[in-house]
Amino acid sequence: MSVDATPALDAGPDPEQQTALRRSGRYLATHPHWVLVFVLIVLILITGMIEPNYLSVSGLRNSALFAAPIGILAAGQTILMLTAGIDLSIAMIATGAAYFAANQSPNGPVLAIVGALVVGIVAGALNGVGVGVFQVNPLIMTLAMSGILLGLFTEWAQTIFAGSTRMNDFIRTLGGGSFFGGRIPWAVVVWATLSLLVVYLLRRSGFGRNLYALGDNTVASRLSGVRSWQVLLAAYTIAGVFGAIAGILLGGRVGAVDLQLAGVFLLPSVAAAVIGGTSIFGGVGTYTGTILGALILAVLNSMLNFLGVGTAVQQMLYGSIIIGLSWLYTRIAATQ
Amino acid sequence: MTAVTTDPLASGTQPGWRRWLRRHGWTVGVWLLLGALIGYYSTLIPAFGSFQVASIVNSGAPLVFLAAAQAVIVIAGGIDLGVGGMLVLTNVTAARFMEGQPFLATLLIAVTIIILAAAVNAGVGWIINVSRVPDIVITLGSLYFFQGLALAVLPNPGGGTSELFRWIFTGSRRGIGSNPYPAIALIAIVILGLAWWLGKTRSGLSLYAVGSNKTAAYLSGIRAARVKIVSYAIGGAFAAMAGLATTAIAGRGNANTVGGNLTLRSVAAIVLGGVALTGGIGSVIAVVPAGLILFFLNPILSAMGVDPNRAQVVQGVLIVLVMMVTGLIEWRRRRTT
Repeated sequence: MSVDATPALDAGPDPEQQTALRRSGRYLATHPHWVLVFVLIVLILITGMIEPNYLSVSGLRNSALFAAPIGILAAGQTILMLTAGIDLSIAMIATGAAYFAANQSPNGPVLAIVGALVVGIVAGALNGVGVGVFQVNPLIMTLAMSGILLGLFTEWAQTIFAGSTRMNDFIRTLGGGSFFGGRIPWAVVVWATLSLLVVYLLRRSGFGRNLYALGDNTVASRLSGVRSWQVLLAAYTIAGVFGAIAGILLGGRVGAVDLQLAGVFLLPSVAAAVIGGTSIFGGVGTYTGTILGALILAVLNSMLNFLGVGTAVQQMLYGSIIIGLSWLYTRIAATQ
Repeated sequence: MTAVTTDPLASGTQPGWRRWLRRHGWTVGVWLLLGALIGYYSTLIPAFGSFQVASIVNSGAPLVFLAAAQAVIVIAGGIDLGVGGMLVLTNVTAARFMEGQPFLATLLIAVTIIILAAAVNAGVGWIINVSRVPDIVITLGSLYFFQGLALAVLPNPGGGTSELFRWIFTGSRRGIGSNPYPAIALIAIVILGLAWWLGKTRSGLSLYAVGSNKTAAYLSGIRAARVKIVSYAIGGAFAAMAGLATTAIAGRGNANTVGGNLTLRSVAAIVLGGVALTGGIGSVIAVVPAGLILFFLNPILSAMGVDPNRAQVVQGVLIVLVMMVTGLIEWRRRRTT
């Protein structure tokens, strides 16, 4: 992202024509995230025009609270999409983790959170074994995992998890509570911490480089000594853990769990990564873009709610905006 | 996955039937699996007859059509997450406008819906071409769009259709019966027609060409962009067939059906049917039994006395196992050749 376009490759007829507009165009092509920042600001302002109360601490706080689980789920998707993978089971992992947390809630927050994380680790690792070791297509592997988890938790919800639908107070605070006079939600703090971790992981660590290498060219990375199955196993496990964390926060925010807890967040988590410029074919993308994608989706959600247009128009607008934004982003990045 | 590997060097040295089996082994295998499952099912329940066959074929038909829609698009190198949304949209549109109409009017409405669905999905293909955004992203958007549009067309479950129209898809004027032949005939005609077009005509083969190597296809004179639009149009038409079948079976439309789940089942069906998600490989003939098997596992498992929730688990495990076996076969084949 930091590489500037070299003048030698410039196709323009003479340097005089390089107006400020063109130069800024080229800057945007190499730094497409600013487009997203611009879109985000415009969306916030439009929402503010529709509902003036939105441009307040509590209005923006609600959007941030909504964005946190999407952003955390999308972190898993980003990591996997860099390897040309995807996790369609991540929402079901989140729901399952929330069930475990609710089940263990009477035994204290530590057990509840650890139990939830174990769900994420186990399901994620199984995905990783399927994709990394047995070379099952990620779409199919995680789709099947989603079905398996749905079946298991539907059954367990009536048997071993029966009655355990109430969350521990600590988790409720974590998911829905705020501090600093009710201004900053704890969930956003969790998300911010994880974000720093993911950005560091992708940008600075060897594991991050392996992810990019694997997604960019599997054969080349394997020939240069990357043990692809280990990288994939780790990546899917991490995605599972992120799913579990998002599940804990969602369960805490709602206060109770049911089987439809996280399902609606599955496609938005993919959409956030995609809007943020992560390629579904692997090798290209950043988590910074995904964060912006998650924030845009959250603001959009507030906007559509304030418009009061009903679910039908909301979904149509939502779909159109995904298409429009990804189109705009590709158009700007392609001029590079 | 290597159902349609054409290897000119090997073909000259092998006997005809072995070559045929090598090329169509996956298709034969999936049909045999379906046959074995039906045979096993008939031993599980006391009265196995035309009613059971009819219920499998009728209820499986939407998934078969939807999988065919997905298969055409995936063979041409794309993937359409929106087919499930298109199913829901055409389902509710048909149910809304067919209610209380005579048979001929419903037939006319059905044809119009198929043409419109093809045109709309061709537009999706066009957007993919022009925007150069990956298929999966644009069709994620179209999935939401169709689902929203469906809610606008029919906010509450309802609507209806004519009795004869229901008969075409189900062999019964009330949607349930023991006459499987109309549904079987319909699936056979439509799918064989599609398979013939894909495998025997220039325009159909160009889908395989573009799907396996877009640049090579373009350089050999195929208009790759147009092929993509054609594949999406046909996918849209088949998704509409699935939607119409749903209307005929249920006798009504329901916009609250989650289209995304249907899309995911269509992807699972084509993968089980041996269509490579990378494009260029696969046969729609194998997708039919695959779709039926995916649907059919539920009644089998419930006849075996498995709890429906655990049946879901078994279904997921089975899909993964099949994929692992395929991967293993592929790996061994690559080592031997």
